[in-house]
Amino acid sequence: VATLEHAGSVPLGLRRADESARRLRAVARVGGWWVVGRAIILVTAVVVHNVGPTGWIRLVSHAHALGPLEAWDARWYRMVASDGYVLIPGRQSDPAFFPLFPIMLRAGHAVGLGYTTTGLILSNVGFLGALLAFYALTRALLGESMARRASAYLAIFPFGFAFSMVYPESIVLGLIALAALAALRRRWGWAAVCAAAAALARPEGLFVALPLAVMAWDQRHVLSPRARGVALGAVLAPVAAIGSFSLYLGSAIGDPMAWSQAQRAWGREFSPFGFVHAVDGLGRAFARDAWVTRDVIAVVLYLVLIAAAARAGVSWPWLLSSLAIVVLPLFSGSFDSVGRFGLLAPAAFWGLAALGRDPRVHRVIIGASLPLLAAAIVVLPLRFP
Amino acid sequence: VRARGTWVTLGTAAVVVAAVLGLGFVVQRTTLNAPSQATLAAIRSATWLERYRLVDSTITLGNGRELHGRCLQDWVVDAGRRRRGAILRLNDGYELLAVPPHTLSATGGTAVTQAMSPLVLMELAGCPRVLARRLQTLAQERHGLRLADGRLSFALKGTRLTLALAPRTGAPVGITLVAPTARGTSRIRFTPVTTQLRELLGVSGR
Repeated sequence: VATLEHAGSVPLGLRRADESARRLRAVARVGGWWVVGRAIILVTAVVVHNVGPTGWIRLVSHAHALGPLEAWDARWYRMVASDGYVLIPGRQSDPAFFPLFPIMLRAGHAVGLGYTTTGLILSNVGFLGALLAFYALTRALLGESMARRASAYLAIFPFGFAFSMVYPESIVLGLIALAALAALRRRWGWAAVCAAAAALARPEGLFVALPLAVMAWDQRHVLSPRARGVALGAVLAPVAAIGSFSLYLGSAIGDPMAWSQAQRAWGREFSPFGFVHAVDGLGRAFARDAWVTRDVIAVVLYLVLIAAAARAGVSWPWLLSSLAIVVLPLFSGSFDSVGRFGLLAPAAFWGLAALGRDPRVHRVIIGASLPLLAAAIVVLPLRFP
Repeated sequence: VRARGTWVTLGTAAVVVAAVLGLGFVVQRTTLNAPSQATLAAIRSATWLERYRLVDSTITLGNGRELHGRCLQDWVVDAGRRRRGAILRLNDGYELLAVPPHTLSATGGTAVTQAMSPLVLMELAGCPRVLARRLQTLAQERHGLRLADGRLSFALKGTRLTLALAPRTGAPVGITLVAPTARGTSRIRFTPVTTQLRELLGVSGR
């Protein structure tokens, strides 16, 4: 018996050692790309701080070397963290910014860090976590080589400078990937927690519900009735999380829909014809501010990448949820910021990874992404992301 | 057995949803600051001021002299362009046209009103946009507002203003102003703008 046990444990031990080594290599690879991307951003931010352009960001955002990374909406997140929410009818106000990230900023502040320092740490370290979770999810869904390329491209994607700003995108991406991973591994309680947290950080978190719903349906025969209930709860968790935000706004400032109202002051009002208005108003938007071109290019790029993902066999729930993340904002009548919103569309990066199977395309993607990422930081003071 | 399984599934899902809803609310409630009463009062006042573009006022200046004023916030034609501005008329013949950013013209009036700062007169007359903008800015910045005994105090370009608020509605009904060179109080009333009123005020002809 002793001999048999010994004989059986050796291959198992070896397998575990192999698995550990593989994980270490994956972490090193993903971490390497994270270092490359973040180094470009941080170095360029320091150069911009010293050389310019000054642009439209407030003087306070030029006060330290990483100032450009705490500009634009970062100010709103800091305001919510320090003072909570108020809705000022007809004016841009902070309920448009979801509460999880400000709560995390407050947690950092409570242990003695500044809001900006906390935000920069959360975004940048959080992005490493998000990349690892995204790698693991992609590997589980599409295999090792797709996971390697997708996570590498995401790490240096030109619009990915937002992952280094005092913005919640890193955290949301990580939570979306973790929710899906947990669901794949039938840990539906964790899936519910991550999906709810994602939706409490940004409204795009809501769209992870679709892949979760399909995974829950696929697993319905192997789950116990109670586990099925938790899975159903996880699918509904993002909606419940947004409901809790409404509940809180209702109790704190007397308007449960303040987050939707505040969006209107930014010129975002959803309507069935919003898409038509966005396209129709493109000429006027361009005349007012030519930077809108960047977001139009982003929309086209994301759509092409999602189409590439479809051709590569990415499942429809992921395609549909990614498409919703890119296309739904256009129904608010504006192309603004879609370049940043699309960062939370996993299928776009799976599409990019599919295109990168061709070594020449792979070289083009890497070769174009690195300088474009630096350029995006250079122009950051000129236009909000 | 199957029906029982369905109920277990639905019950568990309901518990998860309720937990997310409840926990999410409690976390936000316990971690985020709620706005102060002064901030909420400022937003309510600003909302009243923005809702009514015409304010009638009875102003008592520091020397005891009483004036009646009417301030209208409207579109006016200035240098050939339609812009948002304020027209203030006092019953002593004083008329002020303020169109940001460059136009500020005062005509008529007595020596007393001519000697006073146009901003002081606009504030005392309850010109809605001037007061509403300041209140909104201070509410957003969450500082510079003080609420005590139904009176909201704040500073506006070197003047110290106190709004008396209606107890039930929170609408501003009175203004006390203290500036280095002037002081005064006023009672204000919001009046709906009608076409007839606009014509009377001569806005459409501008």
